[in-house]
Amino acid sequence: MTSVSASGAAPLDDVPLRRSPLARMAKRALRHPGFMAGTVVLAVLLLCSLAAPLITAYDPYAQDISRRLLPPVWQAKGTWEHWLGTDKLGRDYFARLLYGGRISLLIGVATVLVSGTIGTALGVAAGFFGGRVDLVIGYIINVRLALPVVLVALAAAALVGSSLNTVIIVLGLLLWDRFAVVARSATQQIAGADFVAAARSIGCSTRLIVLSEVLPNILNPLIVIATLEMAHAILLEAALSFLGLGVQPPLPSWGLMIAEGKQFMFFSPWVITVPGVALVALVLAINLLGDGLRDVTAPENRS
Amino acid sequence: MAPFAYGKSVLLAASLAVALPGAAFADKANDTLIYASDSEPENISPYHNNVREGVIIAHHVWETLIHHNLKTGAYEPYLATSWSWVDPTTLDLELRRGVTFQDGSPFTADDVVFTFNYVLTPDAKVVTKQNVDWMTGTEKIDDYKVRIHLKGPFPAALEYLSGPTPIYPAAYFKKVGLDGFAKAPIGTGPYRIVSVENGKAVKMEKSKTYWKGSPIGDPSIGKLEFRVIPDGETRMAELMTGGVDWIWRVPNDQAAQLQAVPNVSVLAAETMRVGFLQFDSAGRSDPNTPMKNPKVRQAISHAIDRKAMVDNLVRGGARVMNSACFIDQVGCTDEGVPRYAYDPAKAKALLAEAGYPNGFDIDLYAYRERDYAEAVIGYLRAIGIRANLQFMKYAALRELSRAGKVPIYFQTWGSFSVADASAFTGVWFKGNEDDMSRDPEVKALLDKADTTIDLDTRKKTYAQALSRIAEKAYLLPLFSYSTNYAFSSDLDFAAQPDELPRFYAAHWK
Repeated sequence: MTSVSASGAAPLDDVPLRRSPLARMAKRALRHPGFMAGTVVLAVLLLCSLAAPLITAYDPYAQDISRRLLPPVWQAKGTWEHWLGTDKLGRDYFARLLYGGRISLLIGVATVLVSGTIGTALGVAAGFFGGRVDLVIGYIINVRLALPVVLVALAAAALVGSSLNTVIIVLGLLLWDRFAVVARSATQQIAGADFVAAARSIGCSTRLIVLSEVLPNILNPLIVIATLEMAHAILLEAALSFLGLGVQPPLPSWGLMIAEGKQFMFFSPWVITVPGVALVALVLAINLLGDGLRDVTAPENRS
Repeated sequence: MAPFAYGKSVLLAASLAVALPGAAFADKANDTLIYASDSEPENISPYHNNVREGVIIAHHVWETLIHHNLKTGAYEPYLATSWSWVDPTTLDLELRRGVTFQDGSPFTADDVVFTFNYVLTPDAKVVTKQNVDWMTGTEKIDDYKVRIHLKGPFPAALEYLSGPTPIYPAAYFKKVGLDGFAKAPIGTGPYRIVSVENGKAVKMEKSKTYWKGSPIGDPSIGKLEFRVIPDGETRMAELMTGGVDWIWRVPNDQAAQLQAVPNVSVLAAETMRVGFLQFDSAGRSDPNTPMKNPKVRQAISHAIDRKAMVDNLVRGGARVMNSACFIDQVGCTDEGVPRYAYDPAKAKALLAEAGYPNGFDIDLYAYRERDYAEAVIGYLRAIGIRANLQFMKYAALRELSRAGKVPIYFQTWGSFSVADASAFTGVWFKGNEDDMSRDPEVKALLDKADTTIDLDTRKKTYAQALSRIAEKAYLLPLFSYSTNYAFSSDLDFAAQPDELPRFYAAHWK
């Protein structure tokens, strides 16, 4: 991570000052290889998932068990008809992959929305009010940090029963700690700033100050955290589905595809390789994007 | 293509390396046969579990009164030397002298009387009551003679006495109780249990006190070990590296390729196990469940291409079943029983008639062969029924189903290897806990059939009951199972159609 920011940071300083801040940020972004790579890969994956019906004519649920486990096109008996092959029930693997991407992205975004809301609210409250509020929220954060995420998620899924909604809610309720920690320290730095004092002196309500003065100023680090947590959530979903407690069949999910491909690992490794590669690409792209965002928006890079 | 071929060998090498530590124990050299399977009996006492792994252990450690010779079909003396019917509901048996339990205590009439009377008490909590509730009681006539009283005439009595009715040591069981017995069980069989490690392994060794002249012959292999390995890939890796000597239920896709592996033999054989779907037609899971509607159940029956599943997924010697029993069981027939051809258009029409033109959402529960369950889900989806798979451990699912919380159940039943239709149909339709339809008319017909001695009349009554089951679509029989056995080439092993591996008859080459 440091190597990316170090190599990316050096040439950024000579961006001409006459441009607007936004334009300068865009320029920096364009020169940041990690950010660009992450954005491009993520954009491609996002577009492919959203436009899945336009890209493939196959229904990801349509099975034809007389055409099961066809190999992908680069193998000896592969055909372009199913260029990534078919799964154990004869469903088109490419279609499964595209529609599965929707599930992964949905889980990533929805989880971050839930956890981001919880974490930011707690963190801002702790940082802004300080004192006892900070103490109580600090305690809650510590309690949360003491809980092993996977174990709690497994237990919750086993108790409530596993489904897409359960996965989103459970992960959303578990992954808010970093939001809270970051929002808290960022708010603490801002709470004493002159513009906050100024807003207070002209009689703004606490609510208005938090919404219009504090939140916009701590947004950048929170976005970076959001990308990291999104990748985290996608990986956790894959892990839960792999263990049979996440998304349930017949929904296509990459974690589930890996789990179900496991039994063919010995002799048809592509069944597990294809969704595995897709998952790695997605998580890597999100992480690169997050790293890049941090570099591009970091104050020390502004000249 | 090249990187993937390379990846494959790396994967293989990696899994081999991981599996190696287990390799030291099993093989011909130290005369230990390790066999692995996916499930484990929740209680090793044969009356207190109904998983196949438990049945296998039961046949190695305990013995029954009568032996069913699969080659000739004849019933032969085993723990009983002879028997005679006093009348259709009273059976007298002469017991073998000189047989001892593995703790050295002699086998006598007391053991038979105790075992059979104990399993009939509600306190015994026998898991499959169908196996024993045809008896009303057993009395001792003298030390080596017993009399069994039947509830009614029961033509399959000898078949049951040669299968799921092992004899326990009365004195020992009374001393240690069921819990103690489950930890350190003893029987009269060819193998003695050395240790029971829950969830892991059961170790057995050749019984030193086993009697001579038994119809199952003298066991050859010195030690047996049953190991629970839930993951199919791990089982295969263990076999390939010599960590275990025998596995089964190898998926067809892998079996074909496993054949090419040196030192591994593969054998495919049909079994008595039948896979089927059972529906909550009594509406216990939800008073408004669509499963209560016979048209919905018929729609589902028309929606599934069982032939395609047999040809592409199950393969081996599997056959499509059209009756709620295994077709070779005595009493089982599919002649005149309504059949449901694969016809998605008709299925959709039936569904619309039933008031679900847009289908519905429902949970489908399963505990094994996830692929088959998912294929069923795929077929249901094609007619608009959106089924979600709930996949769980057998014991948990059985309790859930008995509590009436399961709308659709992908079940399989191996009939305890009893070659009589009562062991299948009776379990699922005679009003016991596993009966999901609870139709008194079916129960009455089955009761009548199971107490009819005359084979033709019995078959006709069974045909009536099976027809009603099919007509109402209470249960959709799918197919008989075929299993792939894979084992070390050092081992001489023969498969039997009743899904009961007989390790006592196996030997090293």
